[in-house]
Amino acid sequence: MPSNTIVERVVADLQKYPPFDELDPAVLQDLAESVSLTYHEEGEIIFTKGDTLKRHAFMVMKGAVRLFDTIDGKEVLVDLCDEGDMFGVRAIFAHHDYVLTAQVAEESLLFELPVDKIKHLLETEPRVSLFFAGTFAKSVEEIEHTLSEAFDIGQQLCREQSYNNFLQNETLEVKPVTTVITCPPDISIQEAAKIMSERNIGSIIVASSENHPLGIITDTDLTKKVVSRPGSIKEQPVNSIMSSPVFTISGGKTIADMVMLMVKTKLRHFCITEDGSPDSPIAGIISEHDIITSEGNNPAVIMKAIMQAADRDQLKEQRDKTENLLQVYIDQEVAVHFISNIVTEINDALITRAVDFSLKELEEEGEYERPGIEFCWLSLGSEGRKEQLLRTDQDNAILYANPPEENAEKVHEYFLALGRKVTGVLQHCGFVKCPADVMASNPVWCQPISVWKGYFSKWIVTPEPKAVMHSTIFFDFRPVYGQAKLAAELKQEIFSLIGKNRGFLGFFAKNALQNPPPLGFFRNFLVEKSRDHANEFDIKARAMMPLSDAARVLSYELKVPEYFSTAERFKRLGGLVPGMKDLAVEAAAGYEFLMRLRAVNGLADKTSGRYIKPETLNKIERQTLRNVFSTIEQVQKTLNLRFQLDYIRD
Amino acid sequence: MISLLAKKIAARRCRQGELPANVCTYVKGFTGSPDLDRPLGEVRFVVFDTETTGFNSAKDSVISIGAIALNGFRINVEDSFEVLIRRDSVGDSEAVTTHGLLRKDLDEGREEQEAVDDFIDYIGNSVLVAQHADFDVVMINRMLRKKYGFQLLNEVVDTASLAKRLEKGPYYNLAHKSGEYRLDVLLERYNIRLYDRHTAAGDAFLTAQLFQILLATAVHTGIRSLRELLLK
Repeated sequence: MPSNTIVERVVADLQKYPPFDELDPAVLQDLAESVSLTYHEEGEIIFTKGDTLKRHAFMVMKGAVRLFDTIDGKEVLVDLCDEGDMFGVRAIFAHHDYVLTAQVAEESLLFELPVDKIKHLLETEPRVSLFFAGTFAKSVEEIEHTLSEAFDIGQQLCREQSYNNFLQNETLEVKPVTTVITCPPDISIQEAAKIMSERNIGSIIVASSENHPLGIITDTDLTKKVVSRPGSIKEQPVNSIMSSPVFTISGGKTIADMVMLMVKTKLRHFCITEDGSPDSPIAGIISEHDIITSEGNNPAVIMKAIMQAADRDQLKEQRDKTENLLQVYIDQEVAVHFISNIVTEINDALITRAVDFSLKELEEEGEYERPGIEFCWLSLGSEGRKEQLLRTDQDNAILYANPPEENAEKVHEYFLALGRKVTGVLQHCGFVKCPADVMASNPVWCQPISVWKGYFSKWIVTPEPKAVMHSTIFFDFRPVYGQAKLAAELKQEIFSLIGKNRGFLGFFAKNALQNPPPLGFFRNFLVEKSRDHANEFDIKARAMMPLSDAARVLSYELKVPEYFSTAERFKRLGGLVPGMKDLAVEAAAGYEFLMRLRAVNGLADKTSGRYIKPETLNKIERQTLRNVFSTIEQVQKTLNLRFQLDYIRD
Repeated sequence: MISLLAKKIAARRCRQGELPANVCTYVKGFTGSPDLDRPLGEVRFVVFDTETTGFNSAKDSVISIGAIALNGFRINVEDSFEVLIRRDSVGDSEAVTTHGLLRKDLDEGREEQEAVDDFIDYIGNSVLVAQHADFDVVMINRMLRKKYGFQLLNEVVDTASLAKRLEKGPYYNLAHKSGEYRLDVLLERYNIRLYDRHTAAGDAFLTAQLFQILLATAVHTGIRSLRELLLK
């Protein structure tokens, strides 16, 4: 029997690092009992590329170990491991030889962990399998356990361990009111109002004789449509003022579903029918109140306040509240795609209101006459990709229909004035000006569609590396206000231009490869491929842009018409590009991880979150980031191969 | 050559049936001349520590023994040992708290005789290693003598002396600056992470990590065989 004291000591050491950090000590007992400790001096080789796999993996308890490949006699550094890092885990999964050499970089104390004991933990502990799924993807070519699986397990874990209140809530079913009060369509408004006040309810469903919903009357309807109108219409039948058709849904909706539905439809009541259609019997009703009382932080409330805001100060107030909401969501580890959907809806509503205010002001000021020309407000860059969680620079533009030539100047002046006003409101709400002045207030970016087509034509037909780099932001345009068909027309034109100028995609792709991902972390330093170490990490340029750039190139190549986010683009691309399915899922999950990391960092520092101090990351974040780096590398390899970029010279 | 004599006497007592079988198995491990020319990587070292009721080797007694083995320069957690010894007369409550052992633990400990039997079964003919080894060896020997009338036959390495020898050469007078070679000072100097000490097994584990580094250093300075390590 090994010494209890010593085994406990080893358990405590193991528990300091993932994947063992959240395991029950009793679970680790068996592994700890079979650990061996080895001491190594600087320069010692632990194993060499081509060596038969050992029967244990290694964990660095003190010191550092470098892993390198030997290609044509040259050493290529692949990774540096320090305290708490595991290496040689290939032995757990593969059956052949080591593909890297491990050499002690500074005197080290290593734990040797027997492979069979780790395998046992893999089978019984999801956290351990999650961890190795990632590590394995990093260290072995033949990927069996992908990062995406890891993310799935991660999410599953979140649910299982139920340390996450919101996720629990999010997936909680909203209990509808099943004793629905209805009235026939032919009773008078007065009678209906009487029923509502007697029953103390805020709404009443107007139902047919088969109990199918025909419409709904809410107390707002009564105030607006009845009380405020001159003359008595109280004797009229309810169907003259009811809102119809009623928005019907099927049962079993979660809070997350309902919140999204409220945000999207801007409605406050939803009728549940047996099959979800208006042509089936009523089964229940869910009101805004039910949803709000289901959980505390409600984006729909913010949304409503934005829609009802009277001035720009109120808009700002709501946008500030959104930041609190974001903080709560981030703290509660709500899925990033859910958060970005909500924040984008709120931002879009805010822009919509800003445009409304501005149109009204222009009208009141009377300096410019509103031309009868259709226009479209475009969000560009990250906001165009629906990824602006924090308030970063505003990037926007105005696109309008071609005006008659004689009015061109006047129309331009009007929309420019509109652009100045809207960007002013947005600035007031905390969206700072774009340093490169890519804003609708800039005459260059407030243009009729013919000019926009010309811009894109120039970028595409005669691409020039520098111009390509600066124009990527425009390729992520998304219509937010006005005539979306103008944006759709522009997009079709771009597809057609690209179809005729295939060389452009090469430049576009080349641009996406400008920033190779770093190798990983060592201590608090980033291990760079080009340099040795760097101390700050630009998460935007070094990790997010390589992915969003790649997704953009492929989406334009494959003519994806939707205004997608990077993650959505990858998910679509997975189905379009043969052999890219797993990688695309990994890339989408990786990108969302980066968005979260940036938001966390930005909220903590009150900055854009772009520059991350590696020492603020915990071990598991560093591990995940390292895996994302490897995914980026794969994506870049795919791009390189697809566009044969090695043949293109700068 | 006292140890050689001791081995012969013990072996004869075994033949005459004066010692129990398990002790004779232990004694048998020392038959013939030891292979002192073995490379260090082939030697099983047992690093051990004892906790006692006090520091008077004539009066105080052992209340726990902890040990862990090194095989091929590896510390094997599996190959470790820990025993608490039941003492009816642990009057000195101060010492009890120093060792972090509660009265209750000691009540649950094993009889001294069983503990000693287990210990010699565990160590066999391995080379023993301890910090300030003399004291621990004396304490174990007292128990052995009381019961069987003989003492440890193993070779012994003292980590404090080994450290001194590797750092200063074999002729440095340890007595003058003994403070520099206390366990906690050595651990700090060799960059070994300290944790809650004062259990025999915990200290044995730390001493084993120290010894592991000392061995690596020894190999560097040309000490490759057991004979060279033991200066024989």
